[in-house]
Amino acid sequence: MAELRFAGVRKDYGPVRALRGLDLEAADGELLVLVGPSGSGKSTALRTAAGLEDVTAGSVHIGERDVTRVPPAERNVAMVFQSYALFPHLSVAENIAFGLRARKVPREEARLKVERAAELVECGDLFERKPFELSGGERQRVALARALVREPDVFLLDEPLSNLDAQLRVHMRAELKLLHQRLGTTMVHVTHDQVEALTMGERVAVLGDGVVQQVATPAEVYRRPANRFVARFIGSPGMNLFRGRAENGTLHAGPFAIDWSSPQVRGRELEVGVRPEHVSVGGEGTAAEVRVVELAGSEAYLHLEVEQTTVVARVPPEQPPAVGSRVRVQLDPDRLHLFDHETGARLEA
Amino acid sequence: MFRDRERRESAIMLAPYVVGLAVLVALPAAITFGLALTEYDLVRAPRFAGFDNFYELWDDTVFWTAVRNSLMFILFAVPLRLIGAVALALLLHRRFRGAAGYRTAGYLPSVVPDVAFALLWLWILNPLYGPLNLALGAAGGPTPSWLTDARAAQWAVIIMSLFTIGEGFVVAMATRQGIAGELYELGAVEGASPLHMLWRVTLPLMAPTLLLLLCRDTIFSFQANFVPALLVTGGGPEYATTYLPLFIYRNGFEYLRYGYAAAATILMFLITALIVYLQYRIVKRWRRAFVV
Repeated sequence: MAELRFAGVRKDYGPVRALRGLDLEAADGELLVLVGPSGSGKSTALRTAAGLEDVTAGSVHIGERDVTRVPPAERNVAMVFQSYALFPHLSVAENIAFGLRARKVPREEARLKVERAAELVECGDLFERKPFELSGGERQRVALARALVREPDVFLLDEPLSNLDAQLRVHMRAELKLLHQRLGTTMVHVTHDQVEALTMGERVAVLGDGVVQQVATPAEVYRRPANRFVARFIGSPGMNLFRGRAENGTLHAGPFAIDWSSPQVRGRELEVGVRPEHVSVGGEGTAAEVRVVELAGSEAYLHLEVEQTTVVARVPPEQPPAVGSRVRVQLDPDRLHLFDHETGARLEA
Repeated sequence: MFRDRERRESAIMLAPYVVGLAVLVALPAAITFGLALTEYDLVRAPRFAGFDNFYELWDDTVFWTAVRNSLMFILFAVPLRLIGAVALALLLHRRFRGAAGYRTAGYLPSVVPDVAFALLWLWILNPLYGPLNLALGAAGGPTPSWLTDARAAQWAVIIMSLFTIGEGFVVAMATRQGIAGELYELGAVEGASPLHMLWRVTLPLMAPTLLLLLCRDTIFSFQANFVPALLVTGGGPEYATTYLPLFIYRNGFEYLRYGYAAAATILMFLITALIVYLQYRIVKRWRRAFVV
């Protein structure tokens, strides 16, 4: 077991800069989730950790070792691919044993290890089958068993859940977390799904434009996004963002005007963010028209039009206002996020 | 209604092929079966001869030499051609600078007209000033008399056939490109050596295609040595490169024994069918192991 550390990792593909100086560490035994939109560099980061991509500059460390120039086989990492990468001509048992056989582990010892790994992910009853006879979830288990059979220092999971249907994905999310708790091995999990990131990670690293935008606990990333990029990317539906400016005791945020006494951000061009759950509907406030009502079971989301600006608000699902009806809207002044309009960086009020 | 139209359109589009197949293949094949039971020299009318041609073939030592030569040719040429095609495919399946040029070079001999190809080899194989023997001599190797030594002439025809593997190469390359790259990345992470990947992953996954190529190449190779045998080695020395197609050609078009040639054609067809059937039996058993 060991920690995984990226130190100033840069990766260029010709003129394209996939990673622009990645500094990130997954602590020993930690489950770190790398999340970001497509093209953010998260898969590239994982592949440089595995050694499948050379780095243009910077270094990758596993435990005490600098593995930047070490071939993949000698890094003692295991990888689970989005497609699972099961060998179609080999049985489940042979697939799990592949790495052991390649490393010339004696047959009997390999068999015991394969059985133990299969037991951990509960796929022991599939041994004789070929991958084409398995469901998506079963393939996933086999790929996991193959990854853990060698007892690697670090697990690298590249969007392992994205080929599963929604229900199975939620189930496997929990199973992966359990597996991590049981093994206690360092795990880096790449996903583009921010819900998956928030529910699974002990810490979440949000990647954008080839750099780390924020590394923090899921709660921190959600409650205090470090910049506009994170604010936009994390949360579903996303955060409402308005152009804003604070002057003369008032914060102007899009169509809203809020009493504002804090002097810190006075006169600056701002971006003001507020999550849908911190927009209150009813009572006092600015007039708005309900354009869309989305029922999501335990809650409902209203898309409101306020002076040609769309605002999303979360309301209790019982008796939401009808489409077309007029309501009044207020932003919770204590739950506003302020970002510098130029740099996008978070500002403390 | 739509179905009817679709069927009619299919029939129209298929018609040229069906007509060609009937006139150029089915009809001559039927006539060949008829001719095999006759004596016919293009001058006098065909005379029914029953199975006389077949009895005569049975006692014809040249015929049996031709059968043996053809079988030996297949035994060496087909596996070597397949290995060559796969080797080229594995070398050139990746994208790299100049790949298109190398691939074209690999395919090119297959599109050179047979006669030009044969004449080129007549020069290459010349024992005195041919580049092959000059190179072999310079390297201190043996310099066989390719066209006058029986064993050497047989090898010369096999060597020539090893350059016309373009189709097998392209099919093998497409198959290799169809194997997911992630399998190789996984192999790299899991510590599998290139040789391990080749034996345990690449070849088994290519096996269904390779077995198909094997069958096809066997049928093809029975006939492919006709032009080189005719133009380069002339069937000799001492019948060493008289293969079945050349035997049939000589009897038909040089000795004007059409009935006899037709009977030999039928036997060649039967031998080919038997070999393909045997391969099919083996392939069927092997394929089960590689079903994807």
